Amino acid sequence: MSVPALEILGVSKDFGRIIALRDVSFSVMPGEFVSILGRNGAGKTTLLNIVSGVSRPSEGKVNLFGTDPGDRENKAKLAVISHEMFLYGNLTAIENLEYYSRVYNVPDAKKRIDTVLSDVELTHRRFDLVATYSRGMTQRLTIARALLHEPSLLLLDEPFTGLDQHAIGMLIELLKKQKDMDRTILLTTHDLHTAAELSDRYVVLSKHKIIKDGYIADTTPDAIREKYFSAESQGAEA
Amino acid sequence: MMRTAISILQKDLRMEFRSKESILAMWIFSLLIFVIFNFTFEVSRLVMLEIAPGLLWVAFVFSGMFGLNQSFALEKENGNLRAMALMPVDGGEIYVGKFFSVTLIMLMFEALIFPIFIIFYDLQLSLGMFRLIPVLLAGTIGFTSLGTILSAVAVHTRNQQILLSLLLWPLVSPIIIWSVTLTGMILSGEVTEAFYPLLLRVGAFDVIFFTLSYMLFDFILED
Amino acid sequence: MRSKIDKILLIILLIAFSVSIYLIFQWVPQIKASNPAEQIAQRIFYFHVPSAWLGFLAFFVVFCASIAYLATRDRKYELISVASAEIGVLFISLVLITGPIWAKPVWGIWWTWDVRLTSSLILWLIYVAFLMLRRYLPDGSKRANLSAVVGIIGFIDVPIVYYSIRWWETQHPKAVMASSEGSLAAPMFFAFMFSLATFTLLYVYLIRKRYQLLTLEDTLNKQFKEMEIL
Ligand SMILES: Nc1ncnc2c1ncn2[C@@H]1O[C@H](COP(=O)(O)OP(=O)(O)O)[C@@H](O)[C@H]1O
Ligand SMILES: [Mg+2]
Repeated sequence: MSVPALEILGVSKDFGRIIALRDVSFSVMPGEFVSILGRNGAGKTTLLNIVSGVSRPSEGKVNLFGTDPGDRENKAKLAVISHEMFLYGNLTAIENLEYYSRVYNVPDAKKRIDTVLSDVELTHRRFDLVATYSRGMTQRLTIARALLHEPSLLLLDEPFTGLDQHAIGMLIELLKKQKDMDRTILLTTHDLHTAAELSDRYVVLSKHKIIKDGYIADTTPDAIREKYFSAESQGAEA
Repeated sequence: MMRTAISILQKDLRMEFRSKESILAMWIFSLLIFVIFNFTFEVSRLVMLEIAPGLLWVAFVFSGMFGLNQSFALEKENGNLRAMALMPVDGGEIYVGKFFSVTLIMLMFEALIFPIFIIFYDLQLSLGMFRLIPVLLAGTIGFTSLGTILSAVAVHTRNQQILLSLLLWPLVSPIIIWSVTLTGMILSGEVTEAFYPLLLRVGAFDVIFFTLSYMLFDFILED
Repeated sequence: MRSKIDKILLIILLIAFSVSIYLIFQWVPQIKASNPAEQIAQRIFYFHVPSAWLGFLAFFVVFCASIAYLATRDRKYELISVASAEIGVLFISLVLITGPIWAKPVWGIWWTWDVRLTSSLILWLIYVAFLMLRRYLPDGSKRANLSAVVGIIGFIDVPIVYYSIRWWETQHPKAVMASSEGSLAAPMFFAFMFSLATFTLLYVYLIRKRYQLLTLEDTLNKQFKEMEIL
């Protein structure tokens, strides 16, 4: 029995008067791919922020690789992909990636930058300012940036929004590759089919609490939708 | 050790020089300050010389505000502030990077503004003017060390520019007052024995503000 | 228990203020001044200076509570710092109002850019900015962090502000309590100290009340949320 990569122990978070999470507990094994499902405002983003160490829980504790999420070693091992680009429009793709590879101390940066750029099929636009990119291209570059330092923990907060069908396919392929490399991955998404295709486990957050923690193999996307996301389930889960 | 700070500095300078029009705009703006001042107050040359140091610092500080607002708007824009919070370094190091970029850019503006000032107010260049260099450095560092952290605070609000002014002006007023006094001594050629102690005092407060901001910056990045 | 302490405090305050007013307007002897308006105006000093003291005390509490917040992340300290900043701004406002009321008959002007006046104004501006910042931010730990940072930097700046403006000449009276021989007149000193103590007590009462109100708001909001959830 190996130790969990991530342990979330009784975490609550409030923003002053707003409650975002209440008494959330679960753990994730190394190499596991967990989807966090839930409606808007359920607390998914807040949970990922706590795992990434950007946000502190109001109550409870988080162990990431055995230590506090805010630790430098942990931050160096982790990547976040969300609707925020984390890129500078006034720099080219190359310049952005060079900047981050220095910050994350990426070894053999030149080669690594070439690799991630070709992974997201942006090599031909690498000398263009990011401001001239389309929404989808920017998101692809965001993904390239996140994978630059080969993070062992990936936090994906609705990474498919704003992507076209082709880019979604590309991201899914990339994530499968990451999964094969035994990366630990947390994903929040509305797309139950993609979640089912990629993940081993799913956690359903509703009204800031975990109401289900189960294995994808035991269910189907439609069953999950039926049970937790249909109109009737609103009353049932309460 | 300061790898991240240097990367941030490089990136900021690169972007700054890429938008040359904004440097030009800032330069013309400071020119306007002198022109408008001349229109609104018709004063004799003697009075003019007395207020010149204050005017010079008004131009400097406006260019500094401009740089501060831009510097952090840039970080806020695409969530880069969060990216900074995620970086595997101390918040203090990020502060150092931003501080140096903001300071260098402000000093560059000062270097551009000062010649116009000399010409407009027909000041005689003398060897004693070299003493302006430590004064400008000390005053600027005081302004930017507080400005950098307060700008990072203000950028979280909807009304970033107003709020930065509200926060920064009163807090930085001592540094500005002293810098104006010191500049006045040099421009009028009346450098008294009070000069160096006062300069030293500005330097001491620079150190206080810088250290304090360095220690507190982590809390600004955190949610 | 809490409300009992408050009640006792309130009663003491009422008595103390009555005594203060008697001391200030009846008991203390007239100062020696050529201008009769000045003799009356001088009594404003017993409100003016304690207000200023209270402002400083309040901002010192903001400073301490801000540090405590960053060390513990306990919302309690955030609320204390807000409550104290509000009271501080209120009393520095009183300083800025009572000052000119005194200055007009004595100096013949409402306002002058003098050391104490300017630095009090800057002090006021610093903490108004602190409160404005909070207005502009949504409730949450981010706001708590940011305002704690400003609460710390702001207070460190206070002595620097006073120090810097001292470079200008001052007109502000240094020892209003000095009698004609230059020594402190005993009755004046007593009345002043009494007023100071009364104002300090007022601060204690006000911050307790304001803090209670803020926690009450929190509790109420949490309960509404709870009802939504359950
Ligand atoms: N920084 C914040 N300040 C105040 N409230 C917040 C903040 N972030 C999130 N919230 C609130 O917390 C709750 C959970 O938000 P979030 O985690 O973003 O949900 P999700 O990602 O599942 O849509 C929401 O009610 C949201 O309004
Ligand atoms: Mg979200």
